[in-house]
Amino acid sequence: MLPKGAARKVTIFVNEDTQHHFGTLSDAILTFLLHKGVAGATATRAVAGFGTHRALHAANMEARAEHLPIRIEFVESASRVDELMPTLYDMVSDGLIEVQDTLVVKSVSKDAPPEPTPPRAELRGPARLMRIYLGESDHWHGEPLYEAIVKRLRLLDVAGATVYRGLLGYGVKGHTHKSGILPFSHDLPIMISIVDSQERLDRALAEIEPMMQDALIVLSDVDVVRLVHHENR
Amino acid sequence: MRTAKPAKLLRLHFSESDRYGDKPLYEAVVDRCKELGIAGATVFRGLEGFGETAELHRRHLLHHDQPIIVTVVDTPDNIARLIPQLESMLDTAVIAVSDVEAIRIEAPPPAS
Repeated sequence: MLPKGAARKVTIFVNEDTQHHFGTLSDAILTFLLHKGVAGATATRAVAGFGTHRALHAANMEARAEHLPIRIEFVESASRVDELMPTLYDMVSDGLIEVQDTLVVKSVSKDAPPEPTPPRAELRGPARLMRIYLGESDHWHGEPLYEAIVKRLRLLDVAGATVYRGLLGYGVKGHTHKSGILPFSHDLPIMISIVDSQERLDRALAEIEPMMQDALIVLSDVDVVRLVHHENR
Repeated sequence: MRTAKPAKLLRLHFSESDRYGDKPLYEAVVDRCKELGIAGATVFRGLEGFGETAELHRRHLLHHDQPIIVTVVDTPDNIARLIPQLESMLDTAVIAVSDVEAIRIEAPPPAS
């Protein structure tokens, strides 16, 4: 499966009826990509379009419906794209090839076989502990701020975060967070604790700081002993 | 607005059933922090724990006796001022102090 991070996206525009040996060019390109083990490729048939021939091809023009544009897209690592490009360059006799830098944010598969559980490993070393103090009633774009922060940290691949709810507390503003007479008060103090490397916490902090209106962040040096089943970082 | 500076983090461990005068000890501790002008204090309740007496503190049917942790983040001077005050209020407890870096994020004052 494609790893997260920088990658290249290749887009190839061809005509539906362009031939390549005994089949269509688009079929030939997809077959080639499949055999080369490319992570995935998609061919889409356009509704309308025009190319170097300066003729508009559209689905509602009967005579030209056979001549519609096809767009083939795939995302792969820069080195794989470099490796495939000479053949693609050669194959596309009529059309356009475009490459752009892209970022793979998520790449998952339901059918991916579960990774076998390797023996438990121990990771030891210095790390940083970050505690964020905020209020339960703080919101960010309509959702509780602590939830928004945890989601963002997950997106940033931070090792882990835990949210604690306090019983009672007050901050610099002096207003006391305390559960009221009603059983469900929603303005108790919240503390999020996160343990990860200095670099990753700095990166996370830059992203989550603008989300907070009023908060206290406390950083300290810690030694970690992590018991993990798979070492993926 | 963002201000970052070195600070001290104080953690105070005792039990939910501890009392000071006529109120729970944790409320008394937070009130004392406020009186002393300490920047902030937060009380957390643990699920289960034990301390000096090796008695297990957990939730019982009729009364609550779970572990309590109070955390305070402030300047070294303020923490030093707070510790003797807390000591006079506590019978048995653990006070742990560590060095931290504190970043305070404040909403800009409303434009007038």
